[in-house]
Amino acid sequence: MNEFVGECRREWKRLRVPDLVADEMAADLAADLEEAEAEGVSAVEVLGSAAADPRSFAAAWAGERGVIPPAPLTARLRGKALVPIAIAALTTVAAVGAALVIFASPHAKTLLATVPFPPPPPPARTMAAGEIWVVPVKVHGRFLVPPAQTRAAGVGIHRVGSILLIVGIIGVLLSTPLLFGSSSRRFKTAQP
Amino acid sequence: MRCMASSNGRGSQLLRGVLDLCLLAVVQDEPAYGYEMTKRLRALGLSTVGEGSIYPLLGRLERDGLVETYRAAGNGGPPRKYYRASPEGQRALAAGLAEWRSARDAVDGVLGLVEAEVRP
Repeated sequence: MNEFVGECRREWKRLRVPDLVADEMAADLAADLEEAEAEGVSAVEVLGSAAADPRSFAAAWAGERGVIPPAPLTARLRGKALVPIAIAALTTVAAVGAALVIFASPHAKTLLATVPFPPPPPPARTMAAGEIWVVPVKVHGRFLVPPAQTRAAGVGIHRVGSILLIVGIIGVLLSTPLLFGSSSRRFKTAQP
Repeated sequence: MRCMASSNGRGSQLLRGVLDLCLLAVVQDEPAYGYEMTKRLRALGLSTVGEGSIYPLLGRLERDGLVETYRAAGNGGPPRKYYRASPEGQRALAAGLAEWRSARDAVDGVLGLVEAEVRP
């Protein structure tokens, strides 16, 4: 029984119920339960189903009495502003990731640089070991430079873009319910 | 066949709608603290066992100004919070009692017919 009252006190403290009010409720509850026990009446007979859930009981009682102070304005505003900002940031991350995936893909045509026709002729010399020669290729009247030297970089950027896209999408999906849900605890009205 | 609500469930719902009136009624003439109200209700045949405690409801009555409270030593023990019906609580009790009797009579009128049909 003392444990039940103790749990209630902890819940009132968590809810920032004024100490004087919490002390009064705890004293009344403890006195009632002690008198009931002395008369052979169990806590369940006094509290009903609430005997099994002290936190809900305490929250309901304090809520009905109207002694739970509202959250500070700054905290409420901060909480309300943070979620949309987070969603906007995560959306931006997802958009950047999507752009990187699209434009940095090894198969994307945009990786291919274009050079005007005609390109300057290659220098007349033999290839050194590990040297990559860029050979102009004419396609539809324009010369294209094969993306040999950019293929490795494109794969890396594509991977980064994929990660950003996935992170952004997951973050938006997880954050969106917070925008509509209530972060505050709901108090059940203890039904008679 | 769709199962109807159990007798316990229906009883809970019925009690839920009038327990505030019952609490006002038991403290209309003589103030009482929480557990004492429970004992008075039980003595009059109304058990709230399994339905939940009366404390949140008392909190609501207090917040709505339907009861007045004060602290006094109770039964030789520590000071307890006593509740009594306020003037507004008295008016609410009278109005609620009229509503209850009207609803009760209407339901009796319907269920009375059913009882007559099943009687052998």
